Amino acid sequence: MVNKVLGLTAADQASLLRIAILGLISLVAIGSRLYSVIRFESVIHEFDPWFNYRTTRYLVDHGFDKFWNWFDETAWYPLGRVVGGTLYPGIMVTSATIYNALHLINIPVDIRNVCVFLAPAFSALTAIATYHLGKEVKNATAGLLAAAFIGVAPGYISRSVAGSYDNEGIAIFLLVFTFFLWLRSVRLGSALYGALTAISYFYMVSAWGGYVFIINLIPLHVFALLAMGRFSNRLYVAYSTFYVIGTLASMQIPFVGFQPTFTSEHMAALGTFGLIQLVAFASFARTLVPENHFRTLLRGAVVSLFVVGLSGLVLLTMSGVIAPWTGRFYSLWDTGYAKIHIPIIASVSEHQPTAWPNFFFDLNMLIWLLPAGIYFSFSELSDNHVFLILYSIFAAYFASVMVRLILTLTPIVCVLAGVAMAHVFETYLNLRDVPAAAQLKAKATPDVVAATDAVKSLVDAVSDDTAIEDTDSASGHKKDGKRGKGAKKNAAKAVEPTSADGAATSSTQPSVPTSKELSPALKRFYALFPKFVVMTCFMFLLCMFQWHCSWITSTAYSSPSVVLSSRGPDGSHLIIDDFREAYYWLRKNTKPEAKVLSWWDYGYQLAGMADRTTLVDNNTWNNTHIATVGKIMASDEDTAYELARHHDVDYVLVVFGAMLGYSGDDINKFLWMVRIAQGVYPDDVKEEEFYNSQGQYAISDDASPAMKNSLMHKLSYYRFADVMGGQGFDRVRKQKLPTSVTLDNFEEAYTTENWMVRIYKVKDLDNLGRSHHAASKF
Amino acid sequence: MMQRLLRDCCNFNAVLRLALVLCICLSALGAKAKSSSSSGLVNTNVIRTVDLQGLPFAREQVGVVVQNEHSSKVYKTYTVSVPLDKALWLSQLSVHERKSGEELQVTKVPVTEGSLQQLFQVTLRSGGLQPGEKLSLNIDALFVGGLAEPRPKAAKQYDDQVWHWEDHALALSVYPTRKQKTVVKTRGDILRFTKTAGDATMDGRKKVVFGPYTGQEEEEGRRVEVSFRDNAEQVEAMTHRREYFVSHWADDLNVLEHYAIRNSGPEIEGGFNKVEQMLSKHYKRRDNLVKTLLVKVPADARNMYFVDEIGNVSTSDVSKRRRQPSANGGDELFKVLQLQPRYPLAGGWNYTWWHGYSVPLHRYLKVSTATDSTQQQNRHLLRLPFIGSLAATASLENELTLAMANAQNTAVRAYELRVTLPEGAHDIDVQLPATISGEKNLELRPTKYYFDSIGRTVVVITHENIAPELAARHILVSYSYAPSALWMKPLVVAGALFALFMMASIVSRLQYGLAATPETTNKLSAAAKKQGLKKE
Repeated sequence: MVNKVLGLTAADQASLLRIAILGLISLVAIGSRLYSVIRFESVIHEFDPWFNYRTTRYLVDHGFDKFWNWFDETAWYPLGRVVGGTLYPGIMVTSATIYNALHLINIPVDIRNVCVFLAPAFSALTAIATYHLGKEVKNATAGLLAAAFIGVAPGYISRSVAGSYDNEGIAIFLLVFTFFLWLRSVRLGSALYGALTAISYFYMVSAWGGYVFIINLIPLHVFALLAMGRFSNRLYVAYSTFYVIGTLASMQIPFVGFQPTFTSEHMAALGTFGLIQLVAFASFARTLVPENHFRTLLRGAVVSLFVVGLSGLVLLTMSGVIAPWTGRFYSLWDTGYAKIHIPIIASVSEHQPTAWPNFFFDLNMLIWLLPAGIYFSFSELSDNHVFLILYSIFAAYFASVMVRLILTLTPIVCVLAGVAMAHVFETYLNLRDVPAAAQLKAKATPDVVAATDAVKSLVDAVSDDTAIEDTDSASGHKKDGKRGKGAKKNAAKAVEPTSADGAATSSTQPSVPTSKELSPALKRFYALFPKFVVMTCFMFLLCMFQWHCSWITSTAYSSPSVVLSSRGPDGSHLIIDDFREAYYWLRKNTKPEAKVLSWWDYGYQLAGMADRTTLVDNNTWNNTHIATVGKIMASDEDTAYELARHHDVDYVLVVFGAMLGYSGDDINKFLWMVRIAQGVYPDDVKEEEFYNSQGQYAISDDASPAMKNSLMHKLSYYRFADVMGGQGFDRVRKQKLPTSVTLDNFEEAYTTENWMVRIYKVKDLDNLGRSHHAASKF
Repeated sequence: MMQRLLRDCCNFNAVLRLALVLCICLSALGAKAKSSSSSGLVNTNVIRTVDLQGLPFAREQVGVVVQNEHSSKVYKTYTVSVPLDKALWLSQLSVHERKSGEELQVTKVPVTEGSLQQLFQVTLRSGGLQPGEKLSLNIDALFVGGLAEPRPKAAKQYDDQVWHWEDHALALSVYPTRKQKTVVKTRGDILRFTKTAGDATMDGRKKVVFGPYTGQEEEEGRRVEVSFRDNAEQVEAMTHRREYFVSHWADDLNVLEHYAIRNSGPEIEGGFNKVEQMLSKHYKRRDNLVKTLLVKVPADARNMYFVDEIGNVSTSDVSKRRRQPSANGGDELFKVLQLQPRYPLAGGWNYTWWHGYSVPLHRYLKVSTATDSTQQQNRHLLRLPFIGSLAATASLENELTLAMANAQNTAVRAYELRVTLPEGAHDIDVQLPATISGEKNLELRPTKYYFDSIGRTVVVITHENIAPELAARHILVSYSYAPSALWMKPLVVAGALFALFMMASIVSRLQYGLAATPETTNKLSAAAKKQGLKKE
């Protein structure tokens, strides 16, 4: 055998290569997510991950039953929170399972490390799932390219760096994997794959609220196929299996419960399920009715049923039988909605509409490969391609209205970019037989036509390829090998050599056809030069892409936000660790049942790191409670003191950036607090009172009285002017410091190294029954 | 807790010897009843020296002349009494015969219900104390705190720390005492002391003498106090755990130290003041905040880390190699870890953390090559420091001095030592430092660590109230370890991987479908390979 290397046939070599490449892609995917661990440490990032981490610890320490029934009285004091019933347990259960499995084989890892490295590990799985998805819709080349893209695409890395222990970390893998299984079950019409899709969907439901995207997109795909007149038994089997098992399974998650039966988000799936039953019935009926009558009948019925169903849905929603869409969903349609009606959603930066540069920032060249991929999908337009097109259009829309949804766009962009790139590769990397191609084209055409019977069309590049393979004896052998494998389900597949196959073949074989032709060097040059130029350009772009991704990952997405870093004047690396300093101070030096009041952003971190009771946290389920905290911050000292004592508050924590110039501090968030408080207490808090006479948001001596008297202002600037001297300057607001800030009802308990976190103790009532103002004057 | 502490004190049996009263306990009645019941022995003269110069460690040295006034009875033992509240802090109690300097055996007596005293029985020399005979004894008790407390309880960050010692004027004894006096020595200047009777005199600025007292009756129940300035840092380690991990493979001895400490100094009056702290830093003015924790580690320590419950602490440093004469002759080479807690420790503030490092194992391990049949072959002998040192400093200087690192200012209340031996070590024998009585607080615990198959043994020793003396002692652990045991772990791992591949290989050859197609076989084998690669 000429092309045996290491005793392996070409096909085996190719599969070995694919595995090796996938392995390397996985390594790169994991490796590029470790910047934060190398720069900082193995630490949980940001806000929500701290909640997930804390619940995972609880699960590991107390077992599943206790976790499931956990009522957390240290959150939302005095209301508490039913944790087990208000979270998606997927990520915690996954980590705990990994943790227990490792401990079972005597690898006593720390649960924190399991949590920190979970997202990178799952990104490797995502790459593998994406490979399969790409292979499902085109071929292994596209799959490998898509896997390579998703491995490093910043849009996905932003949510899956080591330490970013959030639902999205595993959910994106599940999203891609569910879609892969769905496409395969549609292609094969296999109930097994339908059931697997449902199981994967169940896992997704347990892991992330974004499962709603799946349960709307798959029905949409089905509906689109029905509308295109592409009903088949395969589709029927796949969807029916998936919907029944998937829905029943999803209802096992307490947080989801019976929602699939009465909320608007799930109605499309239910409607489509009903529709496909009707269509199936119709197609059965088709065997009894003449063909030409039937088509018109069917289409009419489908459309009218859709209209009837939709209007029924609207009616039911309006009459209140079906729960209306939640606020977050409304803000997906109308980007201005949240700002007016639900300030708490609008106050989160990741819920803002996406700025256009963000797409390029997060996806780089993939974003312009996306339309190319859509074009190629249209040119083939199998059932799978319909799905890709729908997915890309909807994800693109959602990504443009909400920044964080770039995350769901990223997988489809990678897959379609992989498809587009694979076409480019197939066309321009085919160097074997440049002159021969033209001559042999005529001969090849019948084969091509035969092949295109199964798929709707084939692009020229592939047909070129096919032609050569059919005429080339060595390739013929290779094809036999493939046929031997029986890897063809349809003609399309048979004529698609993977790039790995191609590479293996070309490298092990002398270019026989070219030498036969004996073309002049110039002709060869003309044939090869454009390919060379195009490939150089694309290789350059690919390198730039990789470089861009690494750069973005390292500069933008690898900061834990719990630990900050800066450069000293001499270029030295400075770690700013004020948050943990404050949290650890609280953890060690306050009584265990102490209640800490802070803005909700820091709730999860306080619970996780300081281990103290909080009034509000990032769960934001109770707007009134959050508004109360906002009111305390916005009130004058005496009102705030009364309210704070009323809520059993022992400590108040504020984040203050004026010393360092940290712009994400509480004074900058203060207007949102005021707005949210005003929404609930319109008589007590008024936003306009916090602007000074010039209508500016000032903090220095020219600030409005409400501003100067507010608790937030006092807690932030108390004693600060003393240390800055007379010429004090707020480095965030670029304003002069207020000169006299008095504070009687609260007492400084701790201030961190760089003044970033300030903790105040709520004073006990005066022994002699005086007010604290009187006591301090005395 | 108290019972645990007391039980622990029992463990000093081997070291403790003779008896006398250290203090008058709260119940003067009890003392009176006792004194009448044992009329035979009489303390003719007692000089009690309370040494507060090394706070938080405090020493009470009681020199007593005891006389047998009984007509015929021979006394073989002498009883020492320590009030329970002080016994909680007691680290060691030793009794010497003054003339010969010989150490006498001390046995702890279980506390009877309702009693407020902890009694120790001291066995006198052979023959006991004959009628009419006199004997001079030195009773030496070491406490890890509890004798002095900051007063006022709260002071400004930069104020001097004022400490307050208070005790009964008369030393507690189960025997009648004819004449006694108490000497209190302090590190800083004495500010105030009780002078009611006019029998208290100051000797220099750092020493007060109370007494002599003779007529017991009117003195009973009277308390004397001394207030003095002492700005030295005082830290209490509520718990301290030191762990050794022995790895023969890597020739590595991993040391891990857990600490939970508390600054025993006065609390801050009116809450923490950041501005004051910054000004102190700027003007290099002293304050009471503990800023750095110094740990001496061997000079060849590497891979050092400093972590607390929520992650790495980035503020730490390690000094260059230092040299100083060691206690047991020769030079000691070491480095100093300079650990800065996340926040400075004001009085009453707590901090919990752990740090660790690696040292080459061969410096601590000896392998006996004895070939005679009685001696087991491959006997390994580990000689490890019983406890490390920790010094807290409030210094604002960037350069920390050796004196700061040598300062003995951390009192350990509950100590645990763990030595994790390699997998396959057996016939374990532990020899504790002479100051610790064994058995009861020594435990061999099985555990499983990375890639273990049969597990390994951890030697766990617990001890309470550790005084600096123990720091210089060593613990000896000997065990048998066959050379073949070294290969167990790689074999187990290789075997497990092999089994995994075998399984993958078998699974890939199975056919699940009703109609077997070559496609499924190929796909499965590819999947199995991939799985194999992933597992690796």
